[in-house]
Amino acid sequence: MTLSILKIDLIDAKAVWQRNFLVYRRLWKTELIAPIIEPIFTFFAFGFGVGSLVAAEVQGMSYLSFVGAGVLAFTVLMRTIFEMTYSAYFRMVYQSTYDAILATPINAESLAAGEILWAVSKGIIDCLFILPLVVIFGSATSIFTPLAVLPLTLGCIVLGSCSLGLTGRIFDIGKFNVFFAFFFSTIFLCGAWFPIELLPGWLQIIAYTLPTTAVIDLTRACLNENFASRHIYETIYLLAASLFFTEWALRSIRERMVI
Amino acid sequence: MIKAIEAIALVKNFGVQRAVNNISFHVESGETFAILGENGAGKSTTMRMIAGRSPLTSGILKVDGLSIGTKGRHIRLILGVVPQENNLDPDLNVRENLLVYSKYFRIQKFEAEKRCDALLDFIKLTDKKDEKVEHLSGGMKRRLIIARALLHRPKILLLDEPTTGLDPNVRQEIWEKLEELRREENLTIVISTHYMDEAEKLARRLIVMSRGKIVIEGFPRQIIEERVKKFALEIREVELSIKPQNIKNVLFQKRGLTHLYFAETPDELTALMNYYGTRQMLLRPSNLEDVFLQMTDFDSSSIG
Repeated sequence: MTLSILKIDLIDAKAVWQRNFLVYRRLWKTELIAPIIEPIFTFFAFGFGVGSLVAAEVQGMSYLSFVGAGVLAFTVLMRTIFEMTYSAYFRMVYQSTYDAILATPINAESLAAGEILWAVSKGIIDCLFILPLVVIFGSATSIFTPLAVLPLTLGCIVLGSCSLGLTGRIFDIGKFNVFFAFFFSTIFLCGAWFPIELLPGWLQIIAYTLPTTAVIDLTRACLNENFASRHIYETIYLLAASLFFTEWALRSIRERMVI
Repeated sequence: MIKAIEAIALVKNFGVQRAVNNISFHVESGETFAILGENGAGKSTTMRMIAGRSPLTSGILKVDGLSIGTKGRHIRLILGVVPQENNLDPDLNVRENLLVYSKYFRIQKFEAEKRCDALLDFIKLTDKKDEKVEHLSGGMKRRLIIARALLHRPKILLLDEPTTGLDPNVRQEIWEKLEELRREENLTIVISTHYMDEAEKLARRLIVMSRGKIVIEGFPRQIIEERVKKFALEIREVELSIKPQNIKNVLFQKRGLTHLYFAETPDELTALMNYYGTRQMLLRPSNLEDVFLQMTDFDSSSIG
């Protein structure tokens, strides 16, 4: 059995990516408002609001520093997930954009890869705009701060491809509500707003299995320069999850579109 | 000479349901070929298999001599596909729709721009090139989809129900464009339709499908001549109390309130015109629709 990932043609995937980028360029002003406004208010709420109630240092840093990685990762991952659920579903079902593309030499795998690459790019574009905010709000103190792009990219690949895989399998857009309920619930478990060690043991186990936990922990390490050996395992975990979910997404789109 | 399309014992199952049931046909290079049939006959599935969008359950399908199973990418490079549904990109304007599509075929930017402008001119949409797609009329959208399918200069154009839902003027316009393409570009055109007049007007040869099988195959005129008499008299809105006439060598068929008679000469039918008096009547050559309806019409009865 051939891996679907091996069927990707990068030039074809780039053509799909360019189509999305062209649409984005036209709408960039509105596209950028949300990812800038949201983190500012999240900083106000969690950094200053909740933060003022937290006198103690969290993992050796102020609460505002601790929470920065969560704000950044949450906004970026959220963006990618939206792109690969609602936006992708619109392109696939309502606009028949996938149908039009598959009538060209581009195969289902390259189409899906182009879509995932685009969703990751969109997350990273947002990341580049939010990172200065994280610095301004005092959450990033390390010179390694720009490296936060790397774990966030991996996180976007994992969650973007997982979302696209799901999009390929649902026939009712309302079902995304269940997925989002799950995602929003997990975001409170994965160390974005408080350390996982504060959770009961069994919840900690669940938290550590979530890719989001690894993404936030690695992002925080870059922002605050507190690298540890566990970060190597987390990186390997995210790389493996990226491959697994990308393969799943490609198969899911092929099964949906080529029947 | 290599056939444009060659299908041998084609089968397509969806679960336990058989959508295409062991069909064989071929399309000659440079001809216009129609696949006819009612909704659910298997036309669209056959078209999707040719376009590489639906893997075969069994059988052999070759396009331009290449096997669909192994040479899908090469085949899609020589196929222009006009789908049944409008799938123009609503996020892009008219010209961008063509330019973005040209990227999928890896056409160089300069060449793509040249072809886009030439095609916009061909479909008379040059003055709409910056318009949003949603602002175009149904006919304009259809023309743009056809232009998009021609960007990479395909050898074969596949059109799935190309004029469904369009008004008569636009249908004529689309037919003229297709005829022009076949004549001047020597394109092979495969068209699926449930409009008999469309098939009769455009197709050199055709197949009629029903429940996944081919039930008729041949040249339109030949099919008509072999299966129905040459002339038809159509009398509309006939009251139920009026009994049909029984005339030697004249075939009768009833479709709703319409009475239809078929004969080899118009003279045999004119005699009937007095019988129906001032009712709305039409004396015409028989057409494919007559063939098709005779095959499927359970209400028909011959009294001739």
